[in-house]
Amino acid sequence: MAKFAFLYLDDGVEYQNPTPEQQAVYGQIFKWFETNGPRFVDGGEELQPARTATTLRKAKGKVSVLDGPFIEAKEGIGGFSIVEAKDKADAIALAKTWPGYGVEVRPLNEDMGDMR
Amino acid sequence: MTKYMLMFIDREGGWDGVTKAQNDEVQAGIMKWWGDLMAKGAIHGQGKLASKETATTVRRVNGAMRVTDGPFVESKEHVGGFGVVQAADLDEAIAIAKGMVVLLPEGLGLEVRPVVEH
Repeated sequence: MAKFAFLYLDDGVEYQNPTPEQQAVYGQIFKWFETNGPRFVDGGEELQPARTATTLRKAKGKVSVLDGPFIEAKEGIGGFSIVEAKDKADAIALAKTWPGYGVEVRPLNEDMGDMR
Repeated sequence: MTKYMLMFIDREGGWDGVTKAQNDEVQAGIMKWWGDLMAKGAIHGQGKLASKETATTVRRVNGAMRVTDGPFVESKEHVGGFGVVQAADLDEAIAIAKGMVVLLPEGLGLEVRPVVEH
């Protein structure tokens, strides 16, 4: 078994007042987490929208602090989980059942010792 | 208290020119920064991701899930890892994050994002 990070993607649309269709997707997502519960090493977190992000960078020896996410793109990261799977194909098969918009699947590096 | 996700920025060439000795110093500094947060009970999750070449993205296109190789966005920068920290507010979360970013090579850093409290 290996661990994989699921980075849940959002399509960049912020739903202030979800339509019945969107609410149905939320319901399916809730059910998806229930069904696949035993496969999660860490259920993870849902993130606030990208507009709430703050990005810090080392700049000229100091730390610059700027509003906004570090990647300016239409799609963004909306949450994450850590999943256990037999192999990458198994992880991708699970990701394909995600009721939401999309998932980036990435193997987890067990060694936290080196951040580069 | 609120939880914040710290997303570590991984950039192509971001560590170029960093010597082994400098790298060891940075890594030791990061481990101490992380260890201090762990000791305070401020860490609520973590993950170090394998390189972007290992990423696969699954996306809904016309109702069906389509699988493509690579990360979700073609960019010089990607998520390299993350930690979830607890902080009183965004200012404290930023102060915590600064403790790591100050150690990094020029241009690297991290994104701080509040999580949804369920």
